[in-house]
Parts: sequence; C-alpha cells; structure tokens
Amino acid sequence: MAARRIAIMAEMHGRDLLRRHVALALLVALPFSFYLASAGSGQGAVASGGVSMAFAISGAALFSVLSSRAADQRLVLCGYRPFEMLLGRLIFLGPLALVMSAGFSLAMALISEPTRPWVMALGVAVVALQSVPFGLAVGSAVPRELEGTLVLIGVVGIQLATRIDTVASQMLPFYGPRRLLESSLAGHGAIAEPLFQTFFYGLALLIAARLFVSRRVSVARHDILEGAGGGARRAGRRRHARRRGGGSNGTPQRRSAA
Amino acid sequence: MSTQLLASGVCKRFGPTIILDAVDLAVRAGEIVGLTGENGAGKTTLMRICAGLLQADSGTIQVGGRIGYCPQIPGLFDLLTTDDHLVMFGRGAGMSRDESVGRGHALLEEFGYPLHEKAVTQDLSGGTRQKLNLAIALLSDPSILLLDEPYQGFDRGTYVNFWDHCETWRQRGKAVVIVTHMLAELARVDRVVELAAHPSRAHRWNEA
Repeated sequence: MAARRIAIMAEMHGRDLLRRHVALALLVALPFSFYLASAGSGQGAVASGGVSMAFAISGAALFSVLSSRAADQRLVLCGYRPFEMLLGRLIFLGPLALVMSAGFSLAMALISEPTRPWVMALGVAVVALQSVPFGLAVGSAVPRELEGTLVLIGVVGIQLATRIDTVASQMLPFYGPRRLLESSLAGHGAIAEPLFQTFFYGLALLIAARLFVSRRVSVARHDILEGAGGGARRAGRRRHARRRGGGSNGTPQRRSAA
Repeated sequence: MSTQLLASGVCKRFGPTIILDAVDLAVRAGEIVGLTGENGAGKTTLMRICAGLLQADSGTIQVGGRIGYCPQIPGLFDLLTTDDHLVMFGRGAGMSRDESVGRGHALLEEFGYPLHEKAVTQDLSGGTRQKLNLAIALLSDPSILLLDEPYQGFDRGTYVNFWDHCETWRQRGKAVVIVTHMLAELARVDRVVELAAHPSRAHRWNEA
C-alpha cells in the first residue's frame, strides 16, 4: 500500500508540474541562459552553467513542497505518511532532473568541448540530482515562498561566486559536483570522492527534509473511545503521525474543569 | 447512540492569547451539533484540534471512528482536476483508483457538481471547489464529520441541499459537527454549542 501511495503522489506532482508550461520552459531556459551568458568567458562557463542547473531543479522541488502545503496535512489525515509524500516528489523530480541534465550536458559538450565530457555529464547529473533533496529540504524548512527562494538564491549564488578552494564553497551542497565539473575541464582529478561527498550531503538533506516535513504536517493520533469497533481502531492506526510524550493528542493528560 | 467524539478540557493559546480554555465537547453517533460563536472564539481551532491537525496545550480528544474534515478554506491543488483529487485522497484512505473516482462522483452528483467539466480546480468557481472540498471529506465514509462552514460559496439550491444531506448523515449514524453562523438553520441541528471568546480577550477588546 505504501508503494501505491508513493506512486500516486509522484504521479500527481508530475501532473501538477507538467501543466505549468511557462515554469517548464523556464526550467530549461534558466541554466541555458546562465551557460550561454558566460560561454564567451572561456571554459569556466561549464562550471557556472552546470551549477546553475541547481537554480532550476531545486526551484521546482521547493515549489512542489510549498504549493501543496495547504493540502499536505489533510493528506496525512486521510492516510499518507509524511515520508511517502516526500518520496513521491523525489521519484518524480529525480528522473526529470536527469533528463534535463542529459540534454544540457550534450549541448555544453558540443559547445565547450571539455577535456573529459563524460565527467562533465556526470557532474551536471549530480548537480541535478543533488538539487532535488536540497529544494525539498529548503521547502520543508522555510515558512513561505519568499524565504525559500532567497535561501535557494543565496546558497547556489555563493556556490557559484566563491572559489572552489574556499571553506565557504566546501560547506555548500554543490561542492562535490563542482569539483567534478572543474576536473572535466582540467583533465584530471578525483571522481569517486566528490561522488561520495555529494551522496552523503544529499542523504543528510533528505533526512533534514524528512524531519522538517514531519514536524510541519504531523497529525495527532487520538485515543479510541471504549466500545468503538474495529473500524475505529483501523482508523486510529492509519493516522500514524505521532506526537511524542503526553496524552492521546500529544498533550499532557491534565483535565481542566469544564 | 454511542459517543463518537469526546473532547475534554481542551486548552489552546497562541502566544499570550487564550483561544480555548477547558472546552468540553461530546458528539454521539446520529447527532448533529452546530458550533457557533463570534469571530475569533476558537471554533476553527477546536475543529482542527479535534481533527488532529493542531496540538492542544492540554486536554484530550477521543474518537470512535474515522474522521472526515472539511476545512473552511479548501486546500486543493490548483492544477489538478477533480478526478486527480479524488484518486489522490482516495488512495490515502486505502481505496483503488476506480473506487475513489466512482465514490467521489456519486458524492459530487448529490451536490450538483458539474462532472462533465474536466477543468483543473483553479478554473472552477468558489462554490464548485467547495463541493469538491466537501466530497473529499466524505470520500472515506467517515463516522465523524467535522465541517467548518462547508457551504461557503454554495448557491441557494445547493445550500438547502446541504442541510438535507445533514439529515441523511444523521440517519446513517454519523456524528456531525458544523461550524455555522447561519442562525436560521440552527433548527436543523440537534444541539448548539456556543463558544464564547475568552474573557481575557474580551477585556482587551473593550479597552481598545
């Protein structure tokens, strides 16, 4: 049943995004614009173009979380688990990100002719994949769209603006992919290490998103009244999001005088 | 009839403002309770606490079955169709795709929903969206219905029809709580519970 709920969640988020035609066009146009604008300045355009992919994909992930916020808690009330909702988005956005990165990599390989094109393609794909948990984590943590957009612009912007050997750059989520993009130009450099680095950073972002989203959309599981039938107990079990400590709805078991 | 919803000593404050102070509410199967009160008295807060969407500061809620909650403002996806919503919410409740759409259409037909329109919800009128909102609350056949001004935007015919449906739900043994300001319809509920604004807030308003 969980797999079906995740699949439906992925399908519906896919339908929602695919009906936003202007947003889809911008998703493609944004990294291309970034790349083409800096293409005249030499091969450095590959790194900035590749990392700018994060603006588009993490933006899509951010808004997939924020646009459904009004409905999320009700979805949990009717039986979804917060993690299933997150996973549904990940399952749709991950492949979409890979498809976009493949087209983008092909264009950059033809125009910029990097020394190791396959490493560049790997770097762009990793940027795209890392952008999904990053966007989900930011979307789950911030209260509104404006804050989320500013965080996103700030993080990706700093990643683009700082030199790769600075501490600030190394602390940010797209440091690993940027190393891959730089090494695709230099013709040498580690591959496995940046990949592992990105994987663990992405995992941490997913865990953060899970914690934030659970906190935001949790639904109290009430006690079942004595004498209620099996249906009531099933309903109680289905409403899974639990509060820690206290009484049936997570509150202290204090009775007030009526 | 057995009690389906029992709220005992529910307290809630937002910052320094006390919204609910030791509120009790019991609703039996086959009973319709009208929840009234001035703006800011805490009606929606109490409904959200009963539904489990909001945490009370103290007090307990006990239920006798599945809850169907219809919020005042429909939380729908602008770019999904009616059927998309039915499938998504139905799946959460353990229903198959066909079952969700079939049951959802049957509910929507009862409210005169234009099922021939395949538009996404952002292109629907406010009243039509509200019908979908109500149908989602009813989709899993809950035994407790928490309806927060569910008739917002309904035309006259649908509004009358809604209260007729309340009677049907009562006969089917559902416990129904309706937040309402429509005093003319209070004759159609079994019991009216009026929430008063907490004295601390009334005092502040008087000072202002």
